[in-house]
Amino acid sequence: MANPSSTLVAGLGRLKPKDTRPVWMEKPKPAVQVAKTIALVIICFLALYPLLAVLATSLSSQSEIANNNGLVLFPKEPTFAAYQTIFAGGVVTDALIRSLLITTVGTALSLVVTVAMAYGLTRRDLVGGRFFLMTALFTMLFSPGIIPSFLMVKELGLLDSYAALVLPTLMSAFNLVVVRSFFMNLPQELFEAAKIDGAGDFRILVQMVLPLSRGVLAVVGLFYAVGYWNAFFNAMLYLNDDKWPLSMILRQYVLLGQPMGDSAVAEIAVPSQAIQMAVVVISLIPIVIVFPFLQRYFTKGVLTGAIKG
Amino acid sequence: MNAVPSAGPSRRNFLSVAGIGALALFSGGVLAGCGQRTTSVASNASEALLPTHMPLQAAAADIPGTAQGVPSAFYKYPAPFRSVQTAPLKGGKITAITNLFGTAPNARADNPAWQAIEARLGGQVDITSVSSDDYATKFNTIIAGGELPDLMLNDGAAVPNIVEFLQAKCADLTPLLGGDKIKDYPNLAAIPEVFWKQTVQAGKLYSLPIPRNLTGGSGFVNQTLLENVGIKSTEDIKDKDDFYRVAKELTNPSKNQWALGSTKFGLTMLHHMFRTPNVWKNDGGKLTRAFETDEYMAAIEFAAKLYKDGLYVPGSEGWTKSQMVNSFISGKVAMIYDGLPAYIGPTGYGRSIPAANKANKAVPFIPVGHDGGKAQTWLDNITFGTVMLKKADETKLKEVLAVANFLAAPFGSEEYLLLNYGAEGADYTLDASGNPVVTDRALLDNAVPWKYLAAPQQVVYDPSDKDIVDVMHNAYSKLIPLGVEDPCGTLFSPTNASKGAKLGQPVSDAATAVIAGRGTMDALKTAVADWKKNGGDTIRGEYESALAK
Repeated sequence: MANPSSTLVAGLGRLKPKDTRPVWMEKPKPAVQVAKTIALVIICFLALYPLLAVLATSLSSQSEIANNNGLVLFPKEPTFAAYQTIFAGGVVTDALIRSLLITTVGTALSLVVTVAMAYGLTRRDLVGGRFFLMTALFTMLFSPGIIPSFLMVKELGLLDSYAALVLPTLMSAFNLVVVRSFFMNLPQELFEAAKIDGAGDFRILVQMVLPLSRGVLAVVGLFYAVGYWNAFFNAMLYLNDDKWPLSMILRQYVLLGQPMGDSAVAEIAVPSQAIQMAVVVISLIPIVIVFPFLQRYFTKGVLTGAIKG
Repeated sequence: MNAVPSAGPSRRNFLSVAGIGALALFSGGVLAGCGQRTTSVASNASEALLPTHMPLQAAAADIPGTAQGVPSAFYKYPAPFRSVQTAPLKGGKITAITNLFGTAPNARADNPAWQAIEARLGGQVDITSVSSDDYATKFNTIIAGGELPDLMLNDGAAVPNIVEFLQAKCADLTPLLGGDKIKDYPNLAAIPEVFWKQTVQAGKLYSLPIPRNLTGGSGFVNQTLLENVGIKSTEDIKDKDDFYRVAKELTNPSKNQWALGSTKFGLTMLHHMFRTPNVWKNDGGKLTRAFETDEYMAAIEFAAKLYKDGLYVPGSEGWTKSQMVNSFISGKVAMIYDGLPAYIGPTGYGRSIPAANKANKAVPFIPVGHDGGKAQTWLDNITFGTVMLKKADETKLKEVLAVANFLAAPFGSEEYLLLNYGAEGADYTLDASGNPVVTDRALLDNAVPWKYLAAPQQVVYDPSDKDIVDVMHNAYSKLIPLGVEDPCGTLFSPTNASKGAKLGQPVSDAATAVIAGRGTMDALKTAVADWKKNGGDTIRGEYESALAK
């Protein structure tokens, strides 16, 4: 039976009778519930309002955009003209397929190279391991610059090829450090036991290390994938426009706010601001689709390497 | 912490020293190719032998152009004529790099317009299209890579040491195009001399012009709002006091309406009213920079008065282009500054203003002098840019020039129709009046930037509305005769190329502060004095030397 004095002591933190619960497990008061609801509604509104404005503006005509100071919330006469312009002719769909291929292949190759190097660098008996690690870290401090990179890609014969978007950025030193750190925190006794049982390094990597590393691989994979998906600078530098990925094509649409006098002669009067907003919507779609599937890994894996033990 | 400094290098400072050393090692080698200028001199364009102007017997215009440069105007597309009889390439290939505005085009294999053009050319043209924002980076990277294309756009900003670059890497076209030699390229010969002057550096013809319509204009006004306050045209405004009165009547904040509102205050129309020089003023060989003149100071003081009395939309000086355009289209602002080409075309003000509000109409602003006399406009849109040819043997140069001749086919020709509207059937059909009506795929097929490699003199043409053509032509007819050129526009000053923009920024900032009420005229005059001391006088000296040649 609950003793009032023990309840008081429980509040002081010295004794905790079994039938009292922590404050956060108590049913909240109605006033608090209302306040929390209002706060959440406001926060959701603040987050969703710009998305709604972008979507609505992409479905509006120039007159409506101009009469609403550039942002429309509820278009009176919605039109898909901006999306039709963007998807007309197949340029955007072709670029989308190119981006998907580059992202998929690039991410896979980057993960393979990063995992292989990170695992190798965890082996204490690796000859020259410190040299390779310092060389990789050196690239975090100093980048070669635009012209040396261009000359290197040109000398390798990669100009105007998709490999120019993958090879120069195949491995990130930051991601290497993250993965290596994670591998080093795995229980080494497991791998020593496996070695005693006759397993080689490759088998240990594939059958023991990788299954334990799903979280960090998902995070690093997401970092690489977003990097490849958004990369436009290397595409501008190394590729001609017939091989541009989606990021470059969409960027060109955004830059449609150029002087009107130099726009194409064609008689299609689609407002450039609606097109810019349509571009924003299109560029959000892949991330919105992919992120929910990786969210649980992302939340767990983002702390990888930050907390020891 | 160790109280005794370490005797040798630590790991941390070893890395930084190694990095700085490596950077110096790379920089020395790489920058050598970028041209450290020690011997550049100011160059004058007047010595070159310009091509003889040979007008073509092209289609008769509905409103003919003038020798002064007012463009011809057409209400409908004339019956096309063939201007190039022989294919310029004999199965060969040329390469080019130029700006891309707008979307990337359909690839060659899926682009009937591109295929038709190359069929007429008789060969292949590989174009590297680069957004104007990225052009400097990409072009300088290609220069460093060593493999230059045959045709290269000079946008005026990508290559700072342009004279050295032209002399080292580009073909001198004077022997091929100077004087009567240009008769081998009749479409290029039809381009008037005023455009060819922009292509001369160090006394030689180094590039081909991409002509525009000479003036960027003085801005636009909502004519309906103007008529509501009893003014039929801005030409009826008597002087600056009358302009102030009209602006005051156009301003009604309670109805969300203001007279003025443009990015950076849209000062061009005021400068035209006060007859501010076009960048420089030349008095018998003596140069004065525009912001050193009394006219400039008077225009700034007038703008400050307009702003202080609430005739500008508050904060409008920081607007983006989109915000300014939206405000003008919606009727919030009665007068803005935007380039004249923004009037015509499917998204131009001529159509977008009535589309937003049927009662409204926009027209170009025709300025009157602040004292009731004539205004002075600027010839500040003579060319879009120029196109350089890579050094090569004479046979190759002639082949490239023949391609440029094709691309410069005049309005009214079959070639112009092909280059601007695409392949008939796939990209356009002709209506009953013979005007091209584009199809859905035309936008992407015609996005290939042919017109930024070579182009003819522009005309005013809009088959959708005769009134738009008349308004544009009327504006050019009034503005071009009032226009003055920048006397240093065709000269090169190494100091101006290396730090002119940086030197001028404090003056611009001081002027903005005066107008916005945050600064004084004394501070502006001090900024001008600093400009002179820090390099402005050097720039003046270099230009004066070039003029004296």
